[in-house]
Amino acid sequence: MTGMNIYAYAIIDSIVQFDDCITGMEGKIVFNIPYRDIGVVVSKFGEKIQNVTKDHVLKHEEVVEKLMRRFTVLPIRFLTQFSHEEDVLLMMQAFYNDFRENLDRVRNKVEFGVKIIWSGVKVNNHTMVACRKSDTSIRFLGSSPSRSFVKEKFEKYKAHKEFGEEVERYVSLIDDFFSRFAVEKKLEKLKTDKLLLAASYLVEKERQEDFKDAFKRARKTLGDLKFLLSGPWPPYNFVVLSRKTDMYDKKSPCWNISSEGEI
Amino acid sequence: MTMDRVVETDFPQDFVEEIEKVQGALPGRIDANPQNVERGLAKLVLTLVELIRKLLEKQAMRRIDAGSLTEEEIERVGETLMRLENKIHELKVIFGLEDEELNINLGPLGDLM
Amino acid sequence: MDNVIAESRDVTLLEILDRVLDKGVVISGDIIISLAEVDLIYVGLKVLISSVETMERLRGAPFAGAMEEPT
Repeated sequence: MTGMNIYAYAIIDSIVQFDDCITGMEGKIVFNIPYRDIGVVVSKFGEKIQNVTKDHVLKHEEVVEKLMRRFTVLPIRFLTQFSHEEDVLLMMQAFYNDFRENLDRVRNKVEFGVKIIWSGVKVNNHTMVACRKSDTSIRFLGSSPSRSFVKEKFEKYKAHKEFGEEVERYVSLIDDFFSRFAVEKKLEKLKTDKLLLAASYLVEKERQEDFKDAFKRARKTLGDLKFLLSGPWPPYNFVVLSRKTDMYDKKSPCWNISSEGEI
Repeated sequence: MTMDRVVETDFPQDFVEEIEKVQGALPGRIDANPQNVERGLAKLVLTLVELIRKLLEKQAMRRIDAGSLTEEEIERVGETLMRLENKIHELKVIFGLEDEELNINLGPLGDLM
Repeated sequence: MDNVIAESRDVTLLEILDRVLDKGVVISGDIIISLAEVDLIYVGLKVLISSVETMERLRGAPFAGAMEEPT
């Protein structure tokens, strides 16, 4: 059984086989492996995929979105491949409860992404100036090195605090437009200095248009911010697995500390 | 390949720039070529000490903000924090870590600091 | 081989990559199988995930000098 590769696209809420041909990556047919009352949608390859390109990414996403039109899906991370069919079933057995729970939670819902860019730097400078002007000097009489040290630290601390509060105010303002149309949300604030917000909202299919209207309103109202809307997506940001996964995630530098050049 | 999905923005290049920063940011911290175990341990220890220093500093600032430290206490706290910061920097230099950001990626929990 | 770095400068692709590379159902090579919530078997799945390198290429992230992976 060497040289077999099973590529997994998504978990779906169904055991049916597909009547029509859905083609996946590298022209291979996509089919459903059932497990109890759910299934994992896969393609079989002779060997591991070589020379991964953006076309692979686009094709993967296309398959998942096609499935999303007919089924409830839990999208699987790109390039998840198994070398034995038994492993696919073991995986389904291990995660069945998680998958079942997640499928029920995301049924008839889609994900929308909202990203906001602000002129963060300008805001921060303004805050720092305002803080300097406020009366911090009273607390720091005298001019010993340690006092100057503390004074400087304190000014930075205050500026940082004010800045944080400003971020919260803006994000709250923005979120107010969207959250009433969403059943769940995930907000990431200040991923970069300019990227004030990267948000994901889980929205019921029937409320999609309402959500898009809310976007237009928000964009019009908060004219000094830059907006991005994307979606509808499969619920990438709303899959919650209770089991330990990614224990050997190569991104984690912890694993490099005690090793002698491996990984 | 028709998709229902849209990506809508008036500022595509601004967002491209920021998203690329986010996606590129993670791997940058990996020390993929640890030369020796000692250096790795030193980094870990110093990272933890730095974390403690930051927590102490933050706590001190909060108390100053709340007005609960006397002049003398502020002076002493300042002195201690200053020395601690210098000491950590010295150690970083000794272990050849001075250009590195002391931080640990906790996977799904994000960075330690 | 495509010049993936140049191609990545498309906001739609980046939004897709943002999701598809490390979100959704994320499975590593090891799982714990349990019955009635008692952890029983620790299984090493033969799960092949691409190397960090491949993912970085797709994201268009630059190869920092320190990133030489030992072979």
